[in-house]
Amino acid sequence: MGRHRHTVTLTINGETHDLAVEPRRTLLDALRDDVSLTGTKKVCDMGNCGACTVLVEGQAMYSCLLLAVDCQGLSVTTIEGLGHDGQLDPIQRAFIEADAFQCGFCTPGQVMSLRGLLDATPSPSDEQIERAVTGNLCRCGAYLHIIDAGRRAVVLDREAKEVRDVHVAG
Amino acid sequence: MSTWQVERQEGEDGEVTLSVAEGTPLSPWDAGAALRIVGTPRTRLEGVEKVTGSAQYAYDVRLAGQLYAGILRSPHPHARLTRVDTTAAAALPGVHAVISLADAPDIDWYDDSKLFDPTLRFAGDEVAAVAAEDEDIVADALRLVVAEYEPLPFAIDIVAALAPGATPIHEGGNVESEKTYERGDVEAGLRAADVTFDRVLTTQTAIHHSLEPHGCTVAWEGEGVTVWESTQSIFDVRQQVAEKLGLGESQVRVIKQHMGGGFGSKQIVWKQTVIAALLAKRSGRPVQLMLDREGESLAVGNRNPTRQRLRLGATADGTLTAIDVTIHQAIGAHSAGGEGSNTAGLYQTLYACPNVRTSQTGVYTNTGPAVAFRAPGYVEAAFALETGMDDLARQLGMDPLALRLTNYTGDDQSKEMPFSQPDGLRACYEKATVAFGWGETIEQPAESHRRRGVGIAAHHWVGGAGDPPGYAWVKLNPDGRADIITGTQDIGTGTRTGLAMVAAEELGFTLDQVTFHLGDTALGPYAPVSSGSATMATIGPAIRAAAAEAKAELLAAAAAFLEEPVERLSVRDGLIRVAGEPEDRATPVAAVTGSMSPHMIQTQGARGGNPEDVSIQTFGVQCAEVEVDTRTGEVTILRVVAAHDCGRIINPTTVDSQVIGGVTQGIGFALTEERVVDAATGIVLNANLEEYKVPTVSDIPGIQNVHVGIPDLKANPTGSKGIGEPPLIPTAPAIANAVFDAVGVRFYDLPLSRSRVVDALAARERQGMPA
Amino acid sequence: MTMRTFAYAQPESLADVIAALGAAPSRDAVRPLAGGTDLLTLMKGDIVAPDRLLDLKRLTGLDDTVEIRDNELVLGALTTLTAIETGSLVGEHCPALAKAASLAATPQLRNRATLGGNLLQRPRCWYFREHLIPCWLKGGDACPAREGENGLHALFADSPCVAVHPSDLATVLLAMDATVTVRGDAGERAIAAGDFFVQPDEGRRRENTLGGDEVVLSVAIPLIPGRTSAYHKAMDRKAWAFALVSAACSFRLDGGVMRDVRVVLGGVAPIPWRSTAAEAALDGERPGADVFARAAAAALAGAEPLRHNGYKVHLARNLVIEALEEVTRA
Ligand SMILES: Cc1cc2nc3c(=O)[nH]c(=O)nc-3n(C[C@H](O)[C@H](O)[C@H](O)COP(=O)(O)OP(=O)(O)OC[C@H]3O[C@@H](n4cnc5c(N)ncnc54)[C@H](O)[C@@H]3O)c2cc1C
Ligand code: SF4
Ligand code: FES
Ligand code: FES
Repeated sequence: MGRHRHTVTLTINGETHDLAVEPRRTLLDALRDDVSLTGTKKVCDMGNCGACTVLVEGQAMYSCLLLAVDCQGLSVTTIEGLGHDGQLDPIQRAFIEADAFQCGFCTPGQVMSLRGLLDATPSPSDEQIERAVTGNLCRCGAYLHIIDAGRRAVVLDREAKEVRDVHVAG
Repeated sequence: MSTWQVERQEGEDGEVTLSVAEGTPLSPWDAGAALRIVGTPRTRLEGVEKVTGSAQYAYDVRLAGQLYAGILRSPHPHARLTRVDTTAAAALPGVHAVISLADAPDIDWYDDSKLFDPTLRFAGDEVAAVAAEDEDIVADALRLVVAEYEPLPFAIDIVAALAPGATPIHEGGNVESEKTYERGDVEAGLRAADVTFDRVLTTQTAIHHSLEPHGCTVAWEGEGVTVWESTQSIFDVRQQVAEKLGLGESQVRVIKQHMGGGFGSKQIVWKQTVIAALLAKRSGRPVQLMLDREGESLAVGNRNPTRQRLRLGATADGTLTAIDVTIHQAIGAHSAGGEGSNTAGLYQTLYACPNVRTSQTGVYTNTGPAVAFRAPGYVEAAFALETGMDDLARQLGMDPLALRLTNYTGDDQSKEMPFSQPDGLRACYEKATVAFGWGETIEQPAESHRRRGVGIAAHHWVGGAGDPPGYAWVKLNPDGRADIITGTQDIGTGTRTGLAMVAAEELGFTLDQVTFHLGDTALGPYAPVSSGSATMATIGPAIRAAAAEAKAELLAAAAAFLEEPVERLSVRDGLIRVAGEPEDRATPVAAVTGSMSPHMIQTQGARGGNPEDVSIQTFGVQCAEVEVDTRTGEVTILRVVAAHDCGRIINPTTVDSQVIGGVTQGIGFALTEERVVDAATGIVLNANLEEYKVPTVSDIPGIQNVHVGIPDLKANPTGSKGIGEPPLIPTAPAIANAVFDAVGVRFYDLPLSRSRVVDALAARERQGMPA
Repeated sequence: MTMRTFAYAQPESLADVIAALGAAPSRDAVRPLAGGTDLLTLMKGDIVAPDRLLDLKRLTGLDDTVEIRDNELVLGALTTLTAIETGSLVGEHCPALAKAASLAATPQLRNRATLGGNLLQRPRCWYFREHLIPCWLKGGDACPAREGENGLHALFADSPCVAVHPSDLATVLLAMDATVTVRGDAGERAIAAGDFFVQPDEGRRRENTLGGDEVVLSVAIPLIPGRTSAYHKAMDRKAWAFALVSAACSFRLDGGVMRDVRVVLGGVAPIPWRSTAAEAALDGERPGADVFARAAAAALAGAEPLRHNGYKVHLARNLVIEALEEVTRA
């Protein structure tokens, strides 16, 4: 069998990309190697760690277990797509404030999992915050601070939204 | 002013080495020093890069024309490679370079082996490598490599390797090293004891599993090569790559700005770096070679498993009369180098005891090579020793804390000198037990099958002192901002931020007036490997020295600028102040540095030597509370309180992170982590993050880090010692002791896996002793 | 490991899929692709290497609808585990299934993994998943787990294979008397969950009876008034782990005594393991500690532990008791 390539159209962080990929290309490799968006990390490549988490149509998923061809027409948000107008996303701010990382390698995945949670559930319980990152391993052991960041993010997120709403209203 | 002395030394083989003594004498920041930045919580300087995904790791380097590479590994634990043919792989479209035993240069590796060796000594040993246009093609090509093996008998564990007639893994047999230590007379000590402990305890093989795998991106330019490497030691990579490839050190540039974890496994240089460089040379293109998770699990280090026979004796009042331990540890197929596990060390120092004997034997096995893993040796020893101490306390009817305090010592008995901070451990006992509420009755749940218990464990750690050499430069720019430059690296511990704080403190600048540069052998002065919890204590003083000199020059310049005597001048918050003058008359540094432009103040600081009359160690104590479900064997850790002495705390934020991170790894080591090797095939069955179980967020209880924070004035002029490794040392024994307290079952083997706990509880139930 | 090359297609109708499956030279040559969370890991591990994948997600005739139909709770094969975990109908009518979904895998996987794929996922046995090791289930001569590292393996195996079924949902579905509706060349058929899963044997080295040309359409759970259920799962760690052992129990109380009792264990056999002996011990009895203990003992009576998995006997017994206690409380 030849190395047949398909053209897939993906909306990545709001931008349309046409990629020529083999069917076996994972979304993760397509992001990192074809689009050079290296913020999404590759660790296990087997769905075991969460470092590759992105939002697909708003839902957190492991990009190492998605075929790029299988994402035809879908919208994908990566860590590079967070934040507005040069401002950090509230979750990103919360991670810095809470010192929710050490080496930082799991961080993009953790942030994306929480972004997925807060988009669907703006006022999550502590348990929901914890559950949202059960699929994101952190070998440095920053978990307690990640939970703390999640809690702070809820507040910051609300504030940020209020500010945006005021702008829209104004 | 700094001193510099050089002395000629001639070895027995006639080789001449020059030893250098240098350093800047500085008076230590004592407990009363009015510090404005050091000691205050600060977020990380690289925070924005890390949360936005823009931090560039070795894995993230993307160069024009870059190839990707992968390694074919031995499927056999011990075999002779009789044939390897890469022709078909090389012919695959998209493949640009291959390398194997068939065509590799003759490069020595490990003690007695080669980069590509005809004898393969563990399942995972390197057989061939390929560079191609993408990772999928690499995998296709590796499947096309023809390799034929003649399997040899193998031994995967200590018992098999030491059995009579066991296959020799190296020429000299399977004993890699033997070390003994003795003081007093242990047999007499045991005879004098009223209670004794005598058990074999074992600890498992643990894998570091840094989330960023080992690997690098390599690009040649002429005869020079640049290596972006995920490493704890850019200068060691430089030296090794130069040596193996026959280059001069200056022809090799190593860069590491960010790294996705190392925990000891990246403190030495592994084969893939040189393989990548050779593939890049052959293909004429930049090559990225990052290990996959399997390679990461198999070939680049592990915490060696141990088997420890421990005998303890104590008199009725709790005084220890003897400590005798015989340790065997499997070091894997090769001595990989780096700091070896000194499992015996803790036994020699933790408790006052006149009669101590330790014997430590390293054993070759046909498994991946071991390498330092966060507090190597001490973690393993602490489980055994602190389990034994807990048992003695029970036998004596003594509080485990009281037994430990009874045997307290402020001296390093192995070196026969006092510790630089003789009361450090005592402070940890106090802080941890008070915060924990040690001795208070714990509440038991209503259901009789859920039982709670508490445990305590203590430790010494031989690291954290730091050593020379280590350098830093300070550059004061015309705009009044300082560049701090050093060749150290931030391995995720917060080094950047902590060192920048030291610089800002000494200069009298605000933190944001300082720009910190590290991680590039071409741009910064030498700094050693980030291991042994040493970076802060090694480089901190060098930075302080460089900054002190820069400040002196700045004040001299300011004296001329302001026409004031220098004695009246000081710098605070980035402003030059004249004693007695109002605050608002202060002069910005930029006014002075700008007026001397293009002349600049540029200084170097060197790490001086350590005192010779004290032993510098770090100490800690942890208390844990657990709940055990006697029906299901589920162990739930309810809370851990930690107190660690790391001298002065530079940045409480990152110290807290180090401690909770260490305890988190300790929980994994205590309960779930274990490499599993199939005895029949020698293949690792869980070379992945599915069945090698590191803790998840839900496994981690509240962890409280109680700051001890006593500056160690004898250690170095910052008064600070390392905190990287220690927090993992006492966690497993504290948990195991708490499990005993909860259900009365003693575990002598790690991890306390679900199966082990259920088995033990079931066995007890069969004996008719319900909880 | 990365995957070998394959072709990818998005068939327009279920009929196309069935035809393509029927025409495939072997079962592994052409595979339907749902979430891909199991299939892609098998391909990455070089355990299977299909020539062609057929996407199931964009065709008519297969869906992720959850509805009540004819007194049954019907879940489309493409229903994600997240939908099962959080959906209101499942939560109301079959909380044990919702709980099983919530305890399975991780949030990211649950967002992607489908019910159909979950039932058809292959064992996690580490010999099976290691391509260097031949094993019986993969077509080899023998099972290396029998004498090897078998701490995660089966207590009840009427098969050369001692792997355990990895699905949390399957265990609950058996306890709910669910049926699996499939369609192939010969048309549609509904299979009782207990018949859908079968121990692998020489003629069929697989864990289910799905025909080579068949596609799973949906799963139906009969709604029995007054029936309550519970699911308990023991793991090596608190989250993100397959079951070491699990227990799904259900019954309804009729005049204070238990009726329609189901006791099913996960993690103890190559298939979800229903214990009719335990059910018989409970049927017609009033709930209580003694009868639960007797039933739990009966459930494990024929267990044949291997060298390293004896702990599962004790664990399974107590999980049955815990699950029965919870059903009683519900
Ligand atoms: C890290 C990890 C952890 C996990 N933990 C758990 C756990 O704790 N508990 C648990 O129960 N599961 C667990 N799983 C398994 C997971 O739930 C399954 O992988 C998932 O449900 C499979 O669904 P899918 O849609 O992704 O299937 P796919 O991978 O797409 O398909 C699986 C198989 O089913 C076939 N198939 C799929 N749908 C149909 C259909 N409708 N008709 C015919 N054939 C079909 C495919 O061809 C393939 O052979 C875990 C998986 C991973 C990777
Ligand atoms: S238990 Fe089954 S899957 Fe595992 S090795 Fe044996 S035959 Fe293969
Ligand atoms: S890289 Fe995708 S889950 Fe680990
Ligand atoms: S911060 Fe290093 S793995 Fe999470």
